[in-house]
Amino acid sequence: MSHLTKTNEAFWWSLFSAGGVMAALFLPVMIFVTGFVLPFMMGEDVESQQDRMVSLVTFWPVRLALFGIIFLSSFHCAHRIRHVLMDFGLRWAGVALMICCYGAAAGGAVAAGLILVRL
Amino acid sequence: MRRPLVRPYPKDWFLRTGAYRLFMLRELTSVCIAGYLVFMLWWLYQLGKGDTESFRSLLSIAKHPVSIGLHTIALIAAAWHSITWFNLTPLVMPMRIGEDRVPNVVIAIAMGYGPWLVVSGFVLWATLH
Amino acid sequence: MPEPTITLDVFRYRPDEDERSTFQSYDVPYHEHWVILDALNWIKDHVDGTLSYRWSCRMGVCGSCGMMINGDPKLTCAAFLKDYFPATIRIEPLANFPVERDLVIVMDDFMSKLTSVKPWMIRDDTSPMEEELLQSPSQLAAYKQFSMCINCLLCYAACPELDSDPDFLGPAAIALAHRYNLDSRDQGTAERQDILGAEEGVWGCAFIGECTEVCPKNVDPAGAIQQAKVAVTKDWYKRMLLPWGKR
Ligand code: FES
Repeated sequence: MSHLTKTNEAFWWSLFSAGGVMAALFLPVMIFVTGFVLPFMMGEDVESQQDRMVSLVTFWPVRLALFGIIFLSSFHCAHRIRHVLMDFGLRWAGVALMICCYGAAAGGAVAAGLILVRL
Repeated sequence: MRRPLVRPYPKDWFLRTGAYRLFMLRELTSVCIAGYLVFMLWWLYQLGKGDTESFRSLLSIAKHPVSIGLHTIALIAAAWHSITWFNLTPLVMPMRIGEDRVPNVVIAIAMGYGPWLVVSGFVLWATLH
Repeated sequence: MPEPTITLDVFRYRPDEDERSTFQSYDVPYHEHWVILDALNWIKDHVDGTLSYRWSCRMGVCGSCGMMINGDPKLTCAAFLKDYFPATIRIEPLANFPVERDLVIVMDDFMSKLTSVKPWMIRDDTSPMEEELLQSPSQLAAYKQFSMCINCLLCYAACPELDSDPDFLGPAAIALAHRYNLDSRDQGTAERQDILGAEEGVWGCAFIGECTEVCPKNVDPAGAIQQAKVAVTKDWYKRMLLPWGKR
């Protein structure tokens, strides 16, 4: 091998893996809750629906869990999308592609943090 | 005389065989999941406003056929991510007891499908009670 | 009754005559017990002595007869005509490699990748040993699967990542590096980590998994690469968190 390029890919990969686990464990049921349980399986009384949802989501352990899930899953997606784009011929975009993908994920994580703190 | 010939690689490799197509489907789940994460942010934001009006609009959007359709797609994509993730876990983290490799199914269930079931059940229980 | 025949469309490239590659059709007698390599040998013996290809053992051990059969990488000594009959079979040199001539590929690049991961036993103390190094059955089992590689290069032909980044070390080389890293007698893990952890090392892989599908020896290079990713990542965190040379 003529040349080796040093990389911190190990860091991004560890975020990708942790996010993959979080997404695999939590997202299907979360999608089921926001898409089907909330609109169709929680009775007709809007006030009580809202009460239950808000008290669930503002419970501090739930806030923390939601932050962890959104933060890690975002980086999981960013990493995968980046690699798909690289396989489709954007390898030359290198650092710019990293900034776009991981930047978007970081933005999502910050937004999630702000929203969850102010809930 | 040496004059090596370099050939182009098929540009449509990811459509060529079943395994490549499944790989692409697996990778593209991340696009659906990313889309859902954005929706999740908006959903939390809307919920956080606290007034009944915002919550009503949240509900009416959730009941709209477009929302049902998108949620269905996101649910399928997320479940596909879970299944492929758990099935690959034993290849990434094989375990042995002495000379024998712990069977892949055992690892997949112990580290994937089992916790998945518990987590899903717990979240549903917490939502409905 | 006329003997049944089967048609092979064979990739031809003669660097001294041809500007570009062509396909040549040969009608070959069809026998149920023939493998594709038998058919190629029949062509070479009876029709066209100029056809070039590699083979040696005819039993899936030497790893020299790999070719693309209808676009899939296969050992031609293990691919039976009867699985394709009566359709025409298209035979090409392994993908992702330059072609030397006809079905013969240029392996120089792979050879330098392979040696770069030091696929041999590395010991701190190189003086002659007094006693042999003992290994328990479970220590052997830890790496045995990855030691079955015959360097047939089907995994390289199956890997789209090598097209996207030709410098990527590739499945077989990483699997062999991992094989030595897992060997209880080896002490060279740290030496191999620099190359495995480079961008051209394990990080070229997106776990497409086709290398494991096509491997005739069940080596599971895809698994080996992911396991090497885990090892490299642990190593990276150790280096970051313990910056004072404590590895
Ligand atoms: S001829 Fe030796 S592996 Fe096929």
